[in-house]
Formats: sequence, C-alpha cells, structure tokens
Amino acid sequence: MSVQTTEPTPSPAPVAAERKASGLLWMTGSYVFSVLAAFVVGAIIIVALGYDPVRAIESILTTSFSTSFGMVETLHKWVPIVLCAYAFAIPLATGKFNIGAEGQLLVGATGGVAMGILLSDLPLIVLLPMVLVAGILAGAVWAGIAAVLMVRFGVNEILSTVLLNFVSFQLIDYVASHVWPDAGAGHPATVPVGDGARLPGIGGPPPIHVGVVLALVVCVAVWLWVRRTPSGFEMRAVGANPRASLVHGLRTSRLAGLGIVVGGGIGGLAGAIEVAGVHGKMLEGMQSNFLILGIIVGLMARGSMAAIPVVAFGIAVLEVGASSMQRTAQVPVELVLIVQALILLFLLLSDVVRRRFERRVR
Amino acid sequence: MNEIAEFVALVLPAMVPFVLAAQGTVLSGRAGVFNVSQEGLMVLGAAVGFLVSYSVGSNAVGVFVAAAVAGLFGLILGVMTTNWRLDQFIVGLALYFAALGLASLLYRVAVGTTLEPPLIPTLESYPIPLLSKIPYLGEMFFDHDLLVYTAFVLSGLLFWFMYRTNAGLRFRACGENPRSADSLGVNVARTRIVASVLGASLVGVAGAYLPMVYTGTFTEGMVAGRGWLVIALAFLGGWRPQYILAGAAFFAGMEVLALRAQVAGIGIPHQFVLMLPYIATLVVMMFAFRWARQPRFLGQNYDRESRLAG
Repeated sequence: MSVQTTEPTPSPAPVAAERKASGLLWMTGSYVFSVLAAFVVGAIIIVALGYDPVRAIESILTTSFSTSFGMVETLHKWVPIVLCAYAFAIPLATGKFNIGAEGQLLVGATGGVAMGILLSDLPLIVLLPMVLVAGILAGAVWAGIAAVLMVRFGVNEILSTVLLNFVSFQLIDYVASHVWPDAGAGHPATVPVGDGARLPGIGGPPPIHVGVVLALVVCVAVWLWVRRTPSGFEMRAVGANPRASLVHGLRTSRLAGLGIVVGGGIGGLAGAIEVAGVHGKMLEGMQSNFLILGIIVGLMARGSMAAIPVVAFGIAVLEVGASSMQRTAQVPVELVLIVQALILLFLLLSDVVRRRFERRVR
Repeated sequence: MNEIAEFVALVLPAMVPFVLAAQGTVLSGRAGVFNVSQEGLMVLGAAVGFLVSYSVGSNAVGVFVAAAVAGLFGLILGVMTTNWRLDQFIVGLALYFAALGLASLLYRVAVGTTLEPPLIPTLESYPIPLLSKIPYLGEMFFDHDLLVYTAFVLSGLLFWFMYRTNAGLRFRACGENPRSADSLGVNVARTRIVASVLGASLVGVAGAYLPMVYTGTFTEGMVAGRGWLVIALAFLGGWRPQYILAGAAFFAGMEVLALRAQVAGIGIPHQFVLMLPYIATLVVMMFAFRWARQPRFLGQNYDRESRLAG
C-alpha cells in the first residue's frame, strides 16, 4: 500500500490513452474470441451430426472471396442486412427495440413496387427516385404507427413493431395475389416493375447494382447524423440516461419516436432496393431472414454506428457461405443461425469477463 | 345453442398454447425475469415435441422432452441475467435466434426434405366421467385432451401459489423489490433462476401442443407469432394468472373466428381476416397499456453490490 502512495500520480493524458488502447485490445480480442469459440461449437455440432467440418467451414469462409460471382452475391446480401441493422440500431440508440424491420421492409417494397408498376412508362431519371422515396416513406409510416402507439398510448414498442410484421405479411400477400398479381408465377408475386424502376448495374460480369453505393451513402449519413449533429447527440443522450435528458429539457419520448420512424424509413429503403435491384417485382418471402440478421448485426456492433457496415459484411459472408456449405458438405443452412447466435452470446460473455477483470485490477 | 357449444368446444383447445405460454411468461416475469424468446421457444418446443413423439411413439414423452429442452434455455437466460447481469432483452433475443436455428436444424437433420411429412397421432380426448354427460356443458368443457385440463388446473395452482402462500409472497417480492426481499433473507438469484426455468419449460409445452393437436406434423411457420401475442397477453393481463385466462379466451376466440370466416368465405379477402388477431391486439393494447400493472423490477437485473437505490 505504501508503495502506491509514494509513487507520483500519473498525468491523466497517458492514462486515457492507455485505457483507450486497452479498450481497443479488449474489443478486438473479444470479437476474435467469440467468432472462434462459436465456430468451434459449430464444428462440434457438425461432427456430431456426422458431416465433414473442415469442408463445411472452408466453404463458409471462402465462397465470397473465391469467385467474383460470390463477391457480388455477398455485396447484394450486404445491402438489406446493413439497412435492417440500422433500422434496429438507430432506435436502440435511444433505448428502444425495433423488432419490425421485416414489416418495414415489406411495406417499403409495396410502396416501391406500386410506383414501379403504376408509373412504369416514366424514364429512369424520374421513376427510380420516386420508387426509392416511396419505399422510404412507406417504411417510415409503417414504423410511425408503432411510434405513435408508443408516444401517445404508452404501448411497448417491441410488441407493436413485431405485431405489425404479421400484419404486413398478410398485406403483401393481398397485394401480390389480388392487386397486381402475376398469374404465371405459381407463387404470390406481383407483375414486374417498369424498366425505369430498375437500379442500374455497374462493372461486371456479373454487375453490382447501384443499391450498394446507396447503402454506403446511408452508412455515412447515419454516422454523421448520430455522431456529428445536435439531434443525433440528443438521441444518444436519451439512450444513455433518459431521466437526465428529461430534466435537461429534451423531449425524450418524441426523440425515441423519431428514432423508430427514421429506422423504419431505412427499413423501407431496404425493401425498395430489393425490388429495384434484385427481384424487379415484389414476391412473398422476399424478407428472407433479414430481420434476424439485422438485429444480430445491430447487437454485435454494440452501439457503434461505424462498426455496423463491417459487421454486416461479415454476416453477409457467413450467409452466402452457408448456402454453398449446404451444397458442398450437405450441412443444413440453419446451422449458421446457431453459430451467429453463439457469436452474440460469447460476445456478451466476454463483456462479463472484462467487467470482472477490471473490477479486480482496480 | 348447439353452435355456441361447438364454438366453445373449439375455443378451449385453442386457448391451451396461449394459457400455458402466458402463465410461463407470468411465472418468470413476476420474479423479474422478462423472457422475450417465447416465439423461439415455442418453435423449438413444437419441433422437439414432434420429433420425440414421432420417434418414441408417445406424445407424453414428447411433451416432457420439449419442456426439458425449453427449460434448459430458461436456465441459460436465468444464469446469464442474474449471475452475470447481462441485459435481459439482448440475451432473450440471442436465445430466440438460437432456438429458431436449433428447431429447424433438428427437423432438417431428423426428417430431411420430403414431400410427405411424417405424422404423429393427435392427442385423444379424455371425457371426464359423469361431468361430460351434462348436456351442452359436458360437450363444451369436459370432453377434451388432458393438456386442456392441465392448463386450467395449472392456472389455478399458480394463482393459489402467488397470492395464498408465504412462498408466493416472497416470490413476488423478487420482481417487485428485490432489495427488500434480499434484506429479508430471500435468495433472489435462486428464485429468479428457478422461475426462469419453470416459465420457459411451460412455454416449451405450449409449443409442443401445437403439432399434437392441430396438424400432427411440424412446420416452421406453425407458431405464427403466438409467442409474441403471449407477451402482449401477459402485459394485458397485468401479469396476474387469473386475468391471463380471460385474455387467452379472447385471443383463442379471435383465432377460431378467423378460421371460421376463412372457411365460410365472407366476401372479404382472407388476408384481411388473418390480420385481425394482430390488429385487434394492437387496438386493445392502445387502450389497456396505460392502466395495466406490471412488476416493478420486470426486465431489470438486481445487483446486490450496487449502492444506487432500488
């Protein structure tokens, strides 16, 4: 004890730098540990089921990078995943859980496809922006229902956003089988949108649709908004300490509602991009599992808007790799969902380890 | 009169998944553990219950294994939130994904993709002697499978435990004010973990009931949001077992009516009929949420070393 008191107290600057460095070390260390541990458990499951783990993991990790086709597929998957991750993470910045990205994506797709079919003769320069804006607005309005229920009536936002998902499934089923049905599809789907509503491709073969660039723009815009503007700061303040923000005169519930609406708009944009870039129409099941992947990415990024695109890319690699794993090693694709959930759980556990460790050091 | 009896006789089995899962949610929620993985646990319970029943040939074994597997998830949730104080929603969501993945993986591995899914016999009904002979009432209430009776007896037991015993009082204190419960010698951590395990296993049984009564087989979409409706139900019922029964009757009634309307074909496209239960829930929540009571420490972890009040 006496040793400590005689030592000169270190100046604050090196301590801060040291803490930052150790924080960075902990962060990278916990990600590496979680991914490795999850893959080990995944491999054990694969062995237990009687498949070849080396071949399975190899195809999960290399498919995206071995061919240009795999890379393009990965980037096309990345777009809805990253947008759904923002739809989850932006409301989470204010402490609210938006589990409705699925519904917002589908309703956004409905808005986009409505423009694309009704105004199919317009040229690209006019129609495409309309499709995208319609998607954003439709998604924002859909999430707005949950926001109004939360702000005005105190309804738990988790429940309202989830229940709206189930309403949206029926809604798009109705649109795809009654309003603009494609009778020859053999599966509820709308007729294709006009050529002017399709996102142009770049590069190739195979070409990448421009939606990838749009998603990058959204990433930068969201980061700037949340980190560099007053309203973004207010949102984070509400998430960090709602009581203190209220005392300081912030309209906390309104900011929380705003977060959900903006998240919904981004979810809607994901739907419009899927229509304009990938399918060229709206079809049942187009939401895939983007809701779950978005939530996983949002939780793995742990509140950092800048980390989301990177984590989302990793998840997109896993997803594309998973379907090729099913082809090459016959391991069911559902295994990857378990691996992703495990990565998340191990990340949470590494937080616990860190907390214990730091308590002991201090 | 006959049609009413027939309707009630249909509503009662439809209530069972709601009652069991909602009482499970209430059981863990009153101790302060807010489980949000219900939807996943029900899917997992349905898959496990179906697969075990199919391979063993006994529905009872299927129900128990489903309860055990879901209880294991409840144990993970309980330990991660009480001992390690991780956020309950985030752990719940992670377990939801894990349960969904595990359910589809198990089914895919055990059955594979076939055009003819394997079938299990649906639960037989056990008419209660004497009581089932009462005209109308017997048909309505006393001619069902065993899990229907179980669900109602269990609700009664839960009410009796929570409000009529000392243990129940201590149990509720863990969700209302864990600090004072702790200071009076109640083991808050153990209570929460046990409640979480038992609650989750009830949700698993609720899931297992679905393939055993409705279809005789497992499909991935068969839970269809019931897990989330159940959480809404717990809130609407004010986390009290007696009101859960009334709420479950409402949800089950909507479900049966929607099915009826779909079969009868009443002019409106069936998609809008199928939307109805969800929209009705949203509307009811709009009016009921402000006044509904909930445990004060619901979803919040208790840190006995914390110096902050509460």
